[in-house]
Amino acid sequence: MGKSSKDKRDIYYRRAKEQGWRARSAFKLLQLHDEFQILSGIKRVVDLCAAPGSWSQVLSRELYQNQNQPDAKIVAVDLQPMMPIEGVTTIQADITHPKTLQKILEIFGGEPADFVCSDGAPDVTGLHDLDEYIQAQLILSALQLTTCILKPGGTFVAKIFRGRDIDLLYSQLSYLFEKVICAKPRSSRGTSLEAFIVCIGYTPRPGWNPTLEMNKSTEEFFEGADIGKAGNLKFFDLPDPEERKIAKFIACGDLNDVDSDATY
Amino acid sequence: FTPLNHYGPVTGLTIYKKYILAGNGCILKIFKVNRETNKVSTVFSQQVFKRNKIHNISVSPSGERVVVNGGRSFAVLNLTELINSTDKIRITEKAINEWIITSEFLGENQLLILNSHNTIYHLDVSDKEPGQKFKLLDTIDCNEKSILYSGSIRLLDDGRILIAAGTVMSGVLIWEMNSKRIVHNLTEHEGSIFGVKIDRAGKYMISCSDDRSIKLYDFEKGQLLATGWGHGSRIWNLEFFKDSTGNVRIMSTGEDCTVRIWKFETDNELLIQEQLWENVHRGKHVWSGDIDDVDLQVCVTGGADGRIRLHDLVSSKRSTKDYTLDIVFEKAGIKSKKNEIIIEYFELPSLNYLIMSTSQGNIIVFDQVQETFTRVELASEETEKFVKFGLMKGFQDLNTVILCTRNGSLLLLKFAVGKIQPEKTWINDEYLQNNKVTNFMVEVDENRSTYYLFIDTPNHKTPFILRELKADRGQLTLTKTILLNQPHQTSFTTTDMVIDSTNNWLILGSRYVTLAVYDLSSGSEALDLQFIGKKLSSGDTITSVSIIESKHKEVSVLVTVRDGVYMYIKISQDEDSKFHLNIYHHNKVSRGFIEGGLLENQNLILYGFKSSYFYVWNETKQLEITSELCGGSHRQWELFKYENHTGEMDYKFVYINKSTLNVKEHEGRFSSSNYGLINDGTHGREIRDLAISPELLGDGSRLLMTASEDTTIRLNKLHPNGTIENFWSLNNHVSGMQRVKFLSKEYFASSAANEEFFIWKLGKFKDEIPVTTEYARLKPASDNPDLRVMDFDSYEYAHGFIIATVYSNSNIKIWLFDINSKSFQLVVDDFYATCCILNVNFIRFGDDIFLQIGATDGHIAIWNITQNLSQFTISQTTSTLGKSLIKQQLHQNGIKGLLIKQLKNKFRIVTGGDDNSLILSELTQKNNQLFFETLDFVEEAASSTITSICSAGEDSFIVTSVDQIIRKWKVSNGKLECESARYTTIADTGCSDSVTRDQDTMAVIGGAGVSSWSC
Ligand SMILES: C[S@@+](CC[C@H](N)C(=O)[O-])C[C@H]1O[C@@H](n2cnc3c(N)ncnc32)[C@H](O)[C@@H]1O
Repeated sequence: MGKSSKDKRDIYYRRAKEQGWRARSAFKLLQLHDEFQILSGIKRVVDLCAAPGSWSQVLSRELYQNQNQPDAKIVAVDLQPMMPIEGVTTIQADITHPKTLQKILEIFGGEPADFVCSDGAPDVTGLHDLDEYIQAQLILSALQLTTCILKPGGTFVAKIFRGRDIDLLYSQLSYLFEKVICAKPRSSRGTSLEAFIVCIGYTPRPGWNPTLEMNKSTEEFFEGADIGKAGNLKFFDLPDPEERKIAKFIACGDLNDVDSDATY
Repeated sequence: FTPLNHYGPVTGLTIYKKYILAGNGCILKIFKVNRETNKVSTVFSQQVFKRNKIHNISVSPSGERVVVNGGRSFAVLNLTELINSTDKIRITEKAINEWIITSEFLGENQLLILNSHNTIYHLDVSDKEPGQKFKLLDTIDCNEKSILYSGSIRLLDDGRILIAAGTVMSGVLIWEMNSKRIVHNLTEHEGSIFGVKIDRAGKYMISCSDDRSIKLYDFEKGQLLATGWGHGSRIWNLEFFKDSTGNVRIMSTGEDCTVRIWKFETDNELLIQEQLWENVHRGKHVWSGDIDDVDLQVCVTGGADGRIRLHDLVSSKRSTKDYTLDIVFEKAGIKSKKNEIIIEYFELPSLNYLIMSTSQGNIIVFDQVQETFTRVELASEETEKFVKFGLMKGFQDLNTVILCTRNGSLLLLKFAVGKIQPEKTWINDEYLQNNKVTNFMVEVDENRSTYYLFIDTPNHKTPFILRELKADRGQLTLTKTILLNQPHQTSFTTTDMVIDSTNNWLILGSRYVTLAVYDLSSGSEALDLQFIGKKLSSGDTITSVSIIESKHKEVSVLVTVRDGVYMYIKISQDEDSKFHLNIYHHNKVSRGFIEGGLLENQNLILYGFKSSYFYVWNETKQLEITSELCGGSHRQWELFKYENHTGEMDYKFVYINKSTLNVKEHEGRFSSSNYGLINDGTHGREIRDLAISPELLGDGSRLLMTASEDTTIRLNKLHPNGTIENFWSLNNHVSGMQRVKFLSKEYFASSAANEEFFIWKLGKFKDEIPVTTEYARLKPASDNPDLRVMDFDSYEYAHGFIIATVYSNSNIKIWLFDINSKSFQLVVDDFYATCCILNVNFIRFGDDIFLQIGATDGHIAIWNITQNLSQFTISQTTSTLGKSLIKQQLHQNGIKGLLIKQLKNKFRIVTGGDDNSLILSELTQKNNQLFFETLDFVEEAASSTITSICSAGEDSFIVTSVDQIIRKWKVSNGKLECESARYTTIADTGCSDSVTRDQDTMAVIGGAGVSSWSC
């Protein structure tokens, strides 16, 4: 296109540079917090798919500086290596692998977490159904960890792409949380399908004891959870219709604030 | 609300015997190839899954059953029934609880399904009754359940069942199903593995990945044998050749839109790329492919563009013939002087001779059947005349070759059967005096059986010489010499000529994209220039001129320009004998230079060079016919075209590279079967906008413009049955498309990033083929434009159009576009806020004109612009909008879909947002005041972003959203009602347009593909 990439960078990118965030994504978490106060009163958090680390920066500043909790705990995980951040334990690993989840549990040493977030995005292939599936797997892996580590009443936030089967996910999440909201920060481009599920008030499934096992797939992990996920039916018949639900949509961030679509 | 046609990615392909089974979205298609005629017919086409795309197709050992899978779905079908039935077939869609990677029959009654967590489901599928009660026999895993991107199952003759699994992170796991034992864990790749296969004999394995490489392993040892580099991006698909005698061969396809054939040679750690087919699909991604090198001798590919193409393996095996110049000269008995080279070629196909002239004035006859080279016997003073200069042309029908000397004398060489030495005739020049020849061209007027020889000389005061010859029993005699006064300009260098025999006009193409016309009909022997059209395009040299349609006093020519531009130009003469020129089609090929072109059976064929390749390209079908790695653009090359026995065009490309004469012949095996294009599609990238023409054409169709992410606009016809026929891909935009709309029947406009806004003029060729030219272009306001023109609207006024353009930085501009002067005058220039504006519309209430916008802040705003317009007419001053009359928030953020409908003295406005909601509002005017009122609101009108709204008759409309559900809504008693909803297989559903006629609405929906609907 003959355009230098500089011209395509938006206002949030420049602002992130000014404020010392490693990525413009920081504003997404900040705007989610402004709307839902999700970072208030938390101490132990897991930041999944965290590289380069701007969410961890936000969490670190919020927990250690703003809330002055020297005994806070932040664990950040990503496939990519991350530059160290003060007060953040970083792990380089694949979150879809049970071993990684095991490791995080070990670091928490049996203590529950108050907040789990995942800003994960796989490399897209361009094959929409496959990309949506892989994204859903990433969310399910994050959710798998969440069910093992999040304290009842805790919050789970994850990046989603609002594709064709997102209503299946909303429905499944609604079994596990009091409130499931689809939030779109204004720092996330309106032209992208990106949004965040903000799941508030974790309620463990009665009678279900989530346990990590090394040779269980995510699908098998959730088998007993009874969260409306279609399993294999008799004779392998097609589950139709499936349980779907639309989550409440909330745009967050100040309307008068800069618009990430305005220039890039 | 029924789907008519679907054009979307082809994600699964399998060749079985003479059949090609294809997954085109949820639709299974089966094609049959006739091995004798190479004709291809569709024998089956039916939707097999409700929602999922078919990713994989596999046939049982006996060939009786076939399994298709995609997403979580699978279906076991009876292949014999599919092939033979003419009725719709009953299909039972089955599913597991996971994404399916692949499935394979184990015998006839058992099925193995590999899921995305590396687990095999072993099923009993013996039940053939409707309902198919399949039973789970076993689930098998190797205790390593990482997520897979790819995988395959191989049943070996010795009974072993091998699973090859490609994981998301770097590794390939090969495990044996019965023992559940991991045989190999291959970690040489980086990133995700997109393809992994084991060959039939169980000797080799191949894998491909993110890292752009292909790796071949020894199966038993698990040892890396060789790596193939070449793909420019990710590789999606790999297949072994079936024939395993000799070297191991592999086919690969990928994101870079290429197909490559690789060969493994023992002890070479690099795989050798034997064959490269570029741009086999449009846009990006060849998603699927298969190869049969034994029986059908084809490979087949499926792309994101929805196309399925057959590629011939027979002709690709035939290599280019080459002869070193040393051998050529030696055989011809020429003691080659240093640096003697071949400079010109002329082919006499009926004799199978290739005549070549050399830089030392030698002429060589290459008998291509006997493979002999013979020097034409010329006296040394004759040879002398052609040293370092000799232009050679000829007439194939007369087996005559003509050479022109530097001084304008001509040597005619007539060849005959059984005699290698030609008859010689000289025509000595008497006109040029001391002037030199710069160009020599020939042309035949078949109607008058007249042969023309044309000589160009640089001195513009010296006329061009045009000699007319007649043939008598194959013998040419000079009948007349016409002197053509040159155009009065310092340099007019001719490059091509053509004679229009209907009007007896001579048309010359030259450098600086200039055309000159002489009228030969007067019979006079000294003629003046009749007409000159200068600088018809911005490029440099016209490389070819050919006639595409000729009528009394009017001729259309195809003009190609070296820089890649091609044009359809009409030259006509009015009653006062005045000539006119009109460019009615102008376009540029997306890559490469054009050396020439022709129209063949309504297909535009162009040829030229791109990087180190020579190519022949079908511009109409957007596919490459043949290409040759020749080392780049040369002076010493020639392309010869033949009509073969089926009436199709074949090609012979002759060139010199590295002191070697190369002759490449191309026989199009599938030329008469639509060039092997067995399923047509659309753009290879997401479609960002589309528009249907208000005009109903004579054949019942309407024009449909589609604009895609990759900057191309396609000009199509939408037929009454919902099929979409493409005519052109327009490449003028250089950045991502935003919008395309019709301004009137004759004009449409398009907008994109980088402040691109173009107006196009439409026309017709031969009364049925739509053509277009870019008519005007809005200059960007800034030198370094990075704004997107998000939307525009227009209405006609006396001299053209009033146009509003809105920008990503909140800028709103209104222009007066004058059609005659092609000028844009700025009437209004203002900013709405700081957010991105998404849509704009003009609304007219009586004499008042209003401007409405919708933006990413969820607001709608309306201004009265009547004053601005009249003020501009009076004083030519640009004004601002002032305060808006209406500013109201409707949605939480972006208003993505908006439909305005004029009712009796009010307007209905329906908006759809990023927030999933749909809102019904009304705009009314009372006592000169505007009122905006919201009547109804549906919060969860879709489960994700609403992207577009189009009309479906009086009170109904269609809403598209990214959840891939198309909903039809109705307004009744001021309320929104969802009438019906249908799933669409077009992912990233983002745009729509519709046309309603006699209560029937046809809608077209775009995204990652297009679909047409009857609503
Ligand atoms: C949008 S970035 C996250 C940005 C981060 N929140 C920040 O503020 O800096 C997405 C990340 O997801 C990571 N990711 C994708 N798949 C993953 C997986 N399976 N396990 C761990 N990380 C993954 C990528 O490596 C990438 O760094």
